[in-house]
Formats: sequence, C-alpha cells, structure tokens
Amino acid sequence: MKGSRTYSIFIKEIYEIKRDPYTLGIAIIMPLILLFLFGYALNLDVKNISTAVLDHDKSLQSRKYIERIKSSGYFDIKYHVSSYKDIEKLLDKGYIRNGIVVPSNFSKQIIRGLPTEVGIFIDGTFPPTAKVTIGYIEAINEKYSGDILKEILRRQGRDFDSIQAVKLEERVWYNPSLKSKNFIIPGLFAVILMAFPPLLSTLAIVREKEKGSIQQIFVSPTKPFEFIIGKTIPYALIAIVEMVIILIVGVYWFKVPFKGSLILFIILGTIYVFCTVSIGVLVSTMMKSQMAAMLLVLVITVMPSLLFSGFIYPIFNMPIFFKVYTYLFPARFFIDISRDILLKGNNIKEMFWNIIILLLYTTIIISIASLRFKKKVD
Amino acid sequence: MIDYIIETENLCKQYKDVLAVNKMNLYVNKGELFGLVGPDGAGKTTTIQMLCSILNPTSGTAKILKLDTIKDAEKIKGKIGYMSEGFSLYGSLTVDENIEFFADLYKVPFEQRQSRKKKLLHFSRLTPFVDRPSEKLSGGMKKKLALCCTLMYSPEILFLDEPTLGVDPVSRREFWKILNDFRKEGITIFVTTPYMDEAERCDRVALLHRGDIIRCDSPSNLRRGLRGEMLDIKALPQKKAWNILNNIDEVLEAQIFGERIHVYVDELNSATNQINKKFFNEGIETIDLRKGVPSLEDVFVSAIQKNTKGIYVESEIELTNKINSPKQIKSKKINEIAIHTDNLVKKFGDFTAVNNLTMTVNAGEIFGFLGPNGSGKSTTIKMLTGLLMPTDGNAKVGGYDAKKEVGKLKAKIGYMSQKFSLYNDLTVEENINFYGGVYGVEGDYLKKRKNWVLNMAGLVGKEDTLTKSLSGGWKQRLALGCAILHEPSIIFLDEPTSGVDPVARRHFWDLIYNLSSEGITVFVTTHYMDEAEHCHNLGFIYNGNLIALGSPSDLKKEKFKGELLEIECNNPFRAMEILQNGSKKYQVSTFGNKLHVIVEDIDREIIKIEDILKDNRFQVDRLEEVPISLEDLFVLLIEEDDRKNRMV
Repeated sequence: MKGSRTYSIFIKEIYEIKRDPYTLGIAIIMPLILLFLFGYALNLDVKNISTAVLDHDKSLQSRKYIERIKSSGYFDIKYHVSSYKDIEKLLDKGYIRNGIVVPSNFSKQIIRGLPTEVGIFIDGTFPPTAKVTIGYIEAINEKYSGDILKEILRRQGRDFDSIQAVKLEERVWYNPSLKSKNFIIPGLFAVILMAFPPLLSTLAIVREKEKGSIQQIFVSPTKPFEFIIGKTIPYALIAIVEMVIILIVGVYWFKVPFKGSLILFIILGTIYVFCTVSIGVLVSTMMKSQMAAMLLVLVITVMPSLLFSGFIYPIFNMPIFFKVYTYLFPARFFIDISRDILLKGNNIKEMFWNIIILLLYTTIIISIASLRFKKKVD
Repeated sequence: MIDYIIETENLCKQYKDVLAVNKMNLYVNKGELFGLVGPDGAGKTTTIQMLCSILNPTSGTAKILKLDTIKDAEKIKGKIGYMSEGFSLYGSLTVDENIEFFADLYKVPFEQRQSRKKKLLHFSRLTPFVDRPSEKLSGGMKKKLALCCTLMYSPEILFLDEPTLGVDPVSRREFWKILNDFRKEGITIFVTTPYMDEAERCDRVALLHRGDIIRCDSPSNLRRGLRGEMLDIKALPQKKAWNILNNIDEVLEAQIFGERIHVYVDELNSATNQINKKFFNEGIETIDLRKGVPSLEDVFVSAIQKNTKGIYVESEIELTNKINSPKQIKSKKINEIAIHTDNLVKKFGDFTAVNNLTMTVNAGEIFGFLGPNGSGKSTTIKMLTGLLMPTDGNAKVGGYDAKKEVGKLKAKIGYMSQKFSLYNDLTVEENINFYGGVYGVEGDYLKKRKNWVLNMAGLVGKEDTLTKSLSGGWKQRLALGCAILHEPSIIFLDEPTSGVDPVARRHFWDLIYNLSSEGITVFVTTHYMDEAEHCHNLGFIYNGNLIALGSPSDLKKEKFKGELLEIECNNPFRAMEILQNGSKKYQVSTFGNKLHVIVEDIDREIIKIEDILKDNRFQVDRLEEVPISLEDLFVLLIEEDDRKNRMV
C-alpha cells in the first residue's frame, strides 16, 4: 500500500535497520549463539561420569567387575586409589562424581558362592545425575550377578538362556534414541522467538521515545495503529527470518527429526512471532527508557519461558499454583506445538486447543498494546 | 472581537511536586511571531507540549484554531507543525528520505511535493546534501532540515521549541531567515527560546519565570516599560559603587550586569552629575559611564527581581561577597603557562575532529573556547583533561604531558561538564562528600572546603536538600564547587551556563572572575557571545580548525576592517534584501531585530543608506555606528572560512 502512512513508517524503519548493521547482526547472530549454546551445553544425558575406584581385592574377579563398569560406556574411570581418604578428597575437590569400593574378600565370596557387597559413594549435589548414576550401577550389578548365577547353574548342569523371569520390552516413542537435544531444541525455538523479537520491537519504539522523535509522530495525524503496525512489521519479518534460520540449523546441524508439516509450523510460528512482538509493543507503552524496557522484557519473556514453559522442567511436576501460572506465558503453548510438530508429526486437530489459546493470546496482547498507546508524552 | 489562533485560560500543569505551568492566560493572533522566553525549567516545553495537544493540562483549557486541545486533539494534529527541543530526525536516513517521510505522514499530495521540497532545500541551502545521512550534517544544518520537514506540509501554526539551541550564529541567522520567508505564507509561529536576541525578533514576547508569565508585550513596549532612562556604568570597586548608587535618590534601580552596572534614572543629565559627584567623594574609580540601550535581558532581569520582590537577587549579591577563597592558592603568576598544545590532532576513523591545534593559555587567565556544536570543542577538552588520547601532537596541562602523565595531570585540574555531573538523588552535602572522596579530600580539610563551597554557592542551610529540587542556578554553582573542591590550579568548564536564567548567569561569571583573580586558570566554552566578551583570551574553533586566537579587543581590531552601522527599522528582512541588492551591494546581516551593515566610511554611507530606506518607505527608528560585537566578528570569520573551503 504505497502512499499510506503505515507503509512509509515501515519503509523508514527498514532503512534504519539496514543502515544499522549492529541491530540486524544482533537479531540474527544472537539467536544462533543461543541455539548452539543450549544445543550443546544443555545436555541432560548422563555420560562419562568421572569415577575413582578403590580395589582392595586386586583379583581377577574384581578386575573383571571394574572392566564391566568401564565398558558400559557411562563411566570414565579417572583414578585408581588406595584408601577411602583419597576418594573423600577427590569427591570434595569435585574431581570425581562417584567412587566405587571393592572389598578385599570380593573374589573369595564369589568363588564360595556367597553374596558380597560393593560400596559406592556418590556426589548428590545434583540429584537427577546422582539418581541416574545409581541406576546405571544397579543395572550393571544385576547383570554381573546374573552372569555369576548363570555360571553357577551351568556348573550344576542346568542351562538357562536367561535367568530373568520377567523381561522388559522397551519401545520409546517420538524420541527413540532418547537424546535430550531432540527435546531441548524444539523447545528452544519457542524460547528464542520469545526472547529476541519483543526485545527488538520494544527497543525500536522506546528508542524513539528517548530520542524525542516520537513527539513528531504524536503531533502528526498518524493513528496509533498505523504507527504500531508500520513500526513492528519489520521486526516481525526479522523474527520470521530468525525462526527459519534456527529451524534449518536445528534440523540440519543438530539433526533434530522433523516429522510434521513444515507449512503448518511456519504458519503457527508466524502467529507466535506476532504474539511475542506485540508483547514488546505492550512493554514499550509502559516504559520511557531503553534500559528499563529491556529489563522488563527480559523478566516477562525470557525468565518465564525458561522456567515456566516446560522447556526443561516438566509442567506436570509443578505445584498447582505454578501450573496455573504457566498459562500466563505463551511460550508454553508454542513449546507444545513445536514438539508436537517436530517429534510427533501432529496435525491441527491434535493441537487444536494450543492453537486456539495462542491466537486468543495474540489478539488480547495486540489490543491492549494498541489501547495503551496514547499520542501523549506523559 | 479578535479571533485568537491560540488561546489559553488558566492553563496549569502540575507534575508530582512541581507546578510547571501556573494559570497561564495567553493569546496569539493569526500570523503573529510569538516568543515564549525563559530559562531552563521555566515551563516552556511543558507549555508548548500542552498547546500541541500531546500533553494534557492538569486544569484550565487551551484552544488552538478554536479547537480544544483535549477533546479535539486529533483534529488539531495535522494542522500544526511542531519541532521539539533537540528535534530529532532519523539519523541514518538521508536529507531527502527524512523530508519524504514527513511528507508521507501528512499525506502531502505528490504534485505539490516536488516543488515545495525544491523551494525548501533551496532556502535552507541543503540542496547539495540531499543524499547525505542526516546524522552527518552539522548542528546548524540539522536544525534547518528539521524546519524543512515541518514546513513540508504548510501547517497553520508552527511550534518551535528552542529551535536554535547550540547552533552557531551563522546557522541561527539562516534559520530565522527561512522562518521569515515562510511567514509570508501566513503561518503563525510560536517559538520558545532562551536567547534574548532571538526574542527581539518576535512580534510579541512572553517572559516566563517558574511557570508564571511575568510580562507579555512587544519587545519595544517591554523595553519602554522600564522606568526612565538607562545608564551603563563600569566602576571599581563594583560592590561599593552599587551600594552608593542604591542610596542616590534619583536612581530608580541599579542592577549588576557582569562587570557593568545598569542604572535607571528619570533624568539623564542631573543623575549623571550626581553620580559622578558621589563616586568622586567616595573614591570610586569610574571607568566608563554612558547612556545605554536597554535590551530584553534588562527587562527580564528587572521583571524577575520585581516578581520575587528583590529577595532573589539581593541574597545572591550578598553571597558573592562572602566568598573567601582559600589562601593556599598562590596569587597570580604572570607569564606562567597553564596549557600549551602543539599541533594537537584527534581523528575518529577518517573524520578529523581536531586538526593541528596549537595554542597557549597563561596561568590565571580566563580562556574562552568558542565554536558551533560539533566543531571539536568537547573533543579538545577531553584531550586536555586526559579523557581522550590525542591521535597526534602534544599537549601540556599544568606542566604535565596529557599523553603520558594523565594521573598527575588529573590531580591538578577540575572539570565541570555540560550536564553538571551531580547526583540528583543525593543531598547537597552528600554530593560534596562524594566528590571529596573522589578527589581524596578528607578530614578537617574536607570540612573546611565544604564550608567554602556552601558559602560560595549560597547553599548554607540547604545541606540536606535533595539536589534535584534545587533551581538551575544553585545546581550550577554546586557543580562548580564540587569541581574545585580539591583546589585545582586549572578548571575546565564545558558550557557551564547553558539554559540558566540571565541573573544566575551573571552571578556565575562573578564567581569565574573571583577564581581567576585568585590565580586559577579558567578554560571555558560557551555559546553566549556576551560571555565571550568577558574572557581575557579567546580561541575560536570551526570544523576542527582554530580560526582565531587572541583577546576580544585584539581580535576585533585584527579581523575586522571597516565600521559597523546598526539600523532599527520596520520589516528588517525586507530592508536587508533591498540593501543587499541595490546599486551598491551592502554587506548586511540581521542582529536580533536590527540590521548590521559593514561600511568603509560611515559618515558618507549613513546618509545614503537612510535615503535608500526612506525611498522605499521604511520607518527608520535608529541609525548609528556601533562597536563590532563578537557575534558580528564570528559570523564574519565563519563566512570567510566557508568561502575559503568552497574555493578549495
């Protein structure tokens, strides 16, 4: 619509962005940095647990046992020590996450066919990892005990393929390799699109407030919606580009599966982007300085989208109050949508309510922002 | 029944604890050039924002073009133009793009657009720069561009909020010329300004002081409102002379104006005799005594004093006498060099901000450093104070190398920046203590210095007042006190008086004199040319080059050949055109509402010029020779430099 005010505000904004490579750079580069940081660093898989071993027995049996632990692939045996004190020290210093102690009568007991005990000392500061570690050791122990049992039975002339009475047949759906990045990255799309687009749009408006150029707009016959739309569409476009880039990197670099419809994802992503951009506009109507606006945006977008969206911490585990609280932030709906499309390949029907809520949310935010935007200086 | 185009009734604006505008009643006629004059914080911007209907008044009403600013705000918008203080264009957009943007906002039809743009660019001499990003224009050009943007859509009323703040004298004159050209279209102009010479150009002026309009009339009527005639006296010692004058019956009023005293008397001759007699008896040395022409500034000062019943100024005059500068500072050492620079250069990328600056400032001297915004003043100060590393060349300040001995240098200097670096949320005493801590002034010494600062700034008894609730004048003196808490031998003052009312400005200069007489070197930048007249020496920087250096009187003798004729007549812009384009092409410029003509032989030309004006039916009120002012001189210097650059 050439000649309309919205169009000329839009064009003006595009010129400004084009000539200020920093904004554009930050808008494109920062999300990628975040994606790589989280994609690599935020790994919930427990692997390579640094371990110290205290082998009092030093027999063939004990070595076999330790070899079993090593070959499981989950443990990195960094130290072979000769006293409890050493384990204590290493744990204190944080050099190891756990210590395994094999008693001196380990092989004797096994040969006699009597039970024996292995000691394990675990750093419990981060409970999820500690729990997983215990789980691994228990599984290894069970397997090892089973093998010994089988050996004893074999000697007695009884042959079993397996002594396990009930066998577990696992089928993991949606993320069969159980890689946490497949869980993190689709969620990260929602977080990134919540962090940057509102920041860009709010700063774009508050910057004009700070500079005073907005007063010229106030005095002109420009209508609030003309200004808001013209001003935010460029940033929504940047955000959509951002979305496509992180999607490409997520699928091709991090090899996150993409099972659903790409078009559906882009459409819903665009709605979500308009929602987050309008949160930025809403903040800009309340704040006068860029610094304050930035802080407020971070507090109402990034913080809840990391903590209260199911991005890392499952919502179903939260106390009821926080469960309700999570509904206040649109990130939770888009995280569901993003995971549903990428991992499950869901279609509109299955995500119906999430989509409706997202649409509703967007409409409400845009309306409040437009109503709050007054052509006055105070 | 007159149709007012702007009409306010008991207009009030109350911010949390400040009454910014108090029951304002204002009427502006169609086609009028109306000036709202006052210092920072007087309520100018608040008023203009309420009139532009972007700020709702607390009470009272304002009508613009008969439309209410609250109910019909959107109808008003589109009929008015507004150039906010420090109007801000979009820096990365070019001149043309900025103009087009505003044309789009106001939906100027495409057919009209091109011709109007061409006309505006031509008038503002911006045509060669259409494709330049506006952030790369000089301060004066930016203002002109902003004006072009607001004039693109032919508004009925143009509101200008301090449009020429921080702009060099040449651009200021051009700016007013554009305004004058477009007034022919019938535009009403409402302008706020802290410059009294600009106020002189207005049809009518309202003097605003702390939210109240204390006077409102045409400049000539305002001047006539002063009682009697004015004598302009310079006498020493000034304080004693002032006391004597106040006790002479024939003296109606005596005001200190920097080093001069303006005295109002009923009858000139008898009063002069009486003053001379008294001065002689009391041993006062009269350096100069002549009839003066009162300026709007005189009107303003006089009005402020009456408005506050004399208390305001009297207390300040008392305070100037209380200053007891500490004795540690040694008396003036003549010929000792305080600052010396040798081919100082600062480049930012490929832009040369300061180009081969060589100058010397002697100890105890008041050195005025002048130049338009963006010409390199602040960059130079930053290099001399060790805040910025020179690209090339050398500078010695207080005997220390500004490149290698920054630490020692900083202990010797004091610095007061444009925006006084006080913490608004701290009390007066807390601010002093803070700066004491910064400069390592402590214990009994701090106590002593604190008392000195409080006395100097007249803040005794206000130690626990929050700094933000002080008026501009107090703040400025407190900032000065903090900057010299550690008794530096050199102080740098970067536009210390911008935006302060004339009374406070004068007293600030009294403090500067005092410091200088104690042997402290004062390096000061200013936009006020009357302040520059008070400096011992001046340096004038333009586009990074030092284009003049010397004492005010030497500069005038050196750089100006010829004589200056001042003309007061109706329609000065038209008169200027006629004089510039007649058979003899005169060199004419506007000076406030007056014209200045540079001639070689004044006695011969005065008659010719009077004839030309009378032939063209101008009403000539005054025609006389005046000494050249620094403003005239600097306009000449800038024009000369521009001409040279154009040739290269």
